[in-house]
Amino acid sequence: MTDIGILRVNTMLIKAGNNSDRIKNAHVLMKDAAFPSPFGGGLEYSSPARGTWNIVHTGMLVPEAHEIFICAASCLRGVVLTAAEMNALDRFSTVEVKENNLLDGDMEELLIDGVTDIIQKLPVKPPAVLVYTSCVHHFTGCDWKVMFRTLSEKYPGIDFIDCYMNPTLRKSGLTPDQIMRKQLYALLKEKEKNPVSVSIIGNDLPTNPDSDLIRVIKANDLDLHEITSCKRYDEYQEMAESSLYISYYPAAKAGGDALVKRIGGKHIYLPYSWNYDEIRRSIEILKQAISELRSNASLSDKTGSEYSQDLTDDEKRILECEQAYRETLELVGDTPIAIDYTFCPRPASVAAELLKHGFNVKRLYLDSFTGEERDDYEFLKKNYPEIDIYATVNPGSRFMAAENEGAREKWLAIGQKAAYFLNTDYFINVIEGGGMFGYEAVTDTLSLLREAFLEKKDMRNLVQIKGMGCCGCC
Amino acid sequence: MIKLAIYGKGGIGKSTTVSNVAVELSRMGYKVMQIGCDPKADSTLSLRKDDKKIFTVLELIREKGNDFSLYDMVHEGESGVLCVEAGGPAPGVGCAGRGIIAALDKLKEKGAYDEYKPDVVLYDVLGDVVCGGFSMPMRAGYADKVYIITSGENMAIHAAANIAMAVEGFKSRGYAALGGLILNHRDVKNENEKVKELAEDFHTEIVGELTRSSTVWDAEELGKTVLSAFPESEMAEEYRRLARKLIEI
Repeated sequence: MTDIGILRVNTMLIKAGNNSDRIKNAHVLMKDAAFPSPFGGGLEYSSPARGTWNIVHTGMLVPEAHEIFICAASCLRGVVLTAAEMNALDRFSTVEVKENNLLDGDMEELLIDGVTDIIQKLPVKPPAVLVYTSCVHHFTGCDWKVMFRTLSEKYPGIDFIDCYMNPTLRKSGLTPDQIMRKQLYALLKEKEKNPVSVSIIGNDLPTNPDSDLIRVIKANDLDLHEITSCKRYDEYQEMAESSLYISYYPAAKAGGDALVKRIGGKHIYLPYSWNYDEIRRSIEILKQAISELRSNASLSDKTGSEYSQDLTDDEKRILECEQAYRETLELVGDTPIAIDYTFCPRPASVAAELLKHGFNVKRLYLDSFTGEERDDYEFLKKNYPEIDIYATVNPGSRFMAAENEGAREKWLAIGQKAAYFLNTDYFINVIEGGGMFGYEAVTDTLSLLREAFLEKKDMRNLVQIKGMGCCGCC
Repeated sequence: MIKLAIYGKGGIGKSTTVSNVAVELSRMGYKVMQIGCDPKADSTLSLRKDDKKIFTVLELIREKGNDFSLYDMVHEGESGVLCVEAGGPAPGVGCAGRGIIAALDKLKEKGAYDEYKPDVVLYDVLGDVVCGGFSMPMRAGYADKVYIITSGENMAIHAAANIAMAVEGFKSRGYAALGGLILNHRDVKNENEKVKELAEDFHTEIVGELTRSSTVWDAEELGKTVLSAFPESEMAEEYRRLARKLIEI
């Protein structure tokens, strides 16, 4: 480039304002934060912290299934990269929609013919195909019943399910995340129920075997299923035999309700929380449901057994949590802590409990509070009004990491986005609750917090890995 | 539940005909729901009580997202006819077809058919079948029969043929079948022969005929249906005959 060219470029790229001004709209104090949305909508920023799963990752949980995305080329780009990064290109195909398809009105034929062509070329016919349509299919009024009926008639040995990649519809009805978790189990075919079969549904990551959830289930000699442990399609289909379905990830609730409506059984939703009363209530609900299950199967109730009681003795577990809080506080002292919504579905609950135990929680990185967080929100607003709330998708969020570059103060971050925006290598690298639930979520997270305090991680490289845990490699 | 979709060239008299049929069926004791599938939202104008403004489904979606009830969408009109207007974008912008899809989906989602349990549903559909959205009322789960209103005017016949071809094209999908043609006379040359030929071409029949009558215009001036404004008129009797014919088919 010539000197004149460089001068022109430099002139054009003069910044207006400073980062603090830009971040203004992405920040609010807790006392001023509106419920549920402290920030307005509009143009959105996407940070490099990409550990949470997307619809490609989640769909791949159906063992042996093949995903086919049908949309315009530029939208395919993102999902192709996801499939490539998770080494799943052999289970992933695409059909490109072009302008002529809209003009000619052959979107339905394109889907049918495209899916047919792909299946014919696959070396092994998959037992299930997840067909992801896009905005243009809704826009042009495609008839899903006709398309899927035709495919099912062509391939009676393959189960087809409709999935969606339609960001233009994300503000109405169920969210894309909720829809994906609903469709994930829509392939389950009605079966005779097994009275001692239980399934945990809706998680991307396996539930921790030490969690109170699994301890109660195992203590009652129940047959536990989870999609994350299914290696074959027939194993996945065995989940249809379950008499009890348990979900604890908020986006899974709608799917759980829809599932039992379709194939029977009972669904209980146990909200993730760090609050002892809520945890106690959830375990009680679980025990009651199991008790009913065993009663219906004419089996003796083991939820009150000594073994079961010992494992889930609330008072004992609470003491363990309190010990973990003390031990951790002794180590981290008043090190400032930030929590984000990618770590778990209830960051406000985590913040409230840490604050009650003397921890120096200074920031929350979230774009909205969930309905379940109302009490936590009220508690924080009343008792800790000066907590900083930062948006993660606001255009101003784009400048937050740079604002904290070279900062000397050591921050502890709970969650990838908090770590990224704070530029700290001292962080808990867990997404979506990490499979933790109940009292164990408290003790295990505090253990991770101690570890994070003592050991640096390579934050920049770690947070950019998409779909953490999706291929068992991280 | 009897579900009929009425198509035809714009201005051919669909809304007038459908509204009068709706009133007669309601007076016969049927619970009738009339759904206007047109961004102009004028299907049920002559049925509204006291010129009341009603919110279209799309207006409600636009203003309130999903935060509205079924009862905000459905309004009781003349003779107890349940009136719904799908609505659509402002003239010259947006996509009316997509609007029809959204409106019909929303009605279903809010449980309109389960809640009201109408005996008869009449879909009054804009002009021609111009895109996927406007074919929604023909689809499985919506109308069982399509009736096309036409005159002997060439443009009306072309439009009717186009709609009939769409119905024919969707046969293998289990969509609505072509119930027949309704001849709304314009008294043009060879009108009867031309419409009869059209019916034969599509292996269907003329199920009703409506005379070109100033009574219709007079009722329109009053903002009422003929059955309400001039119940003793010959025109009113023609609408009654048509209503009875449609219900027995």
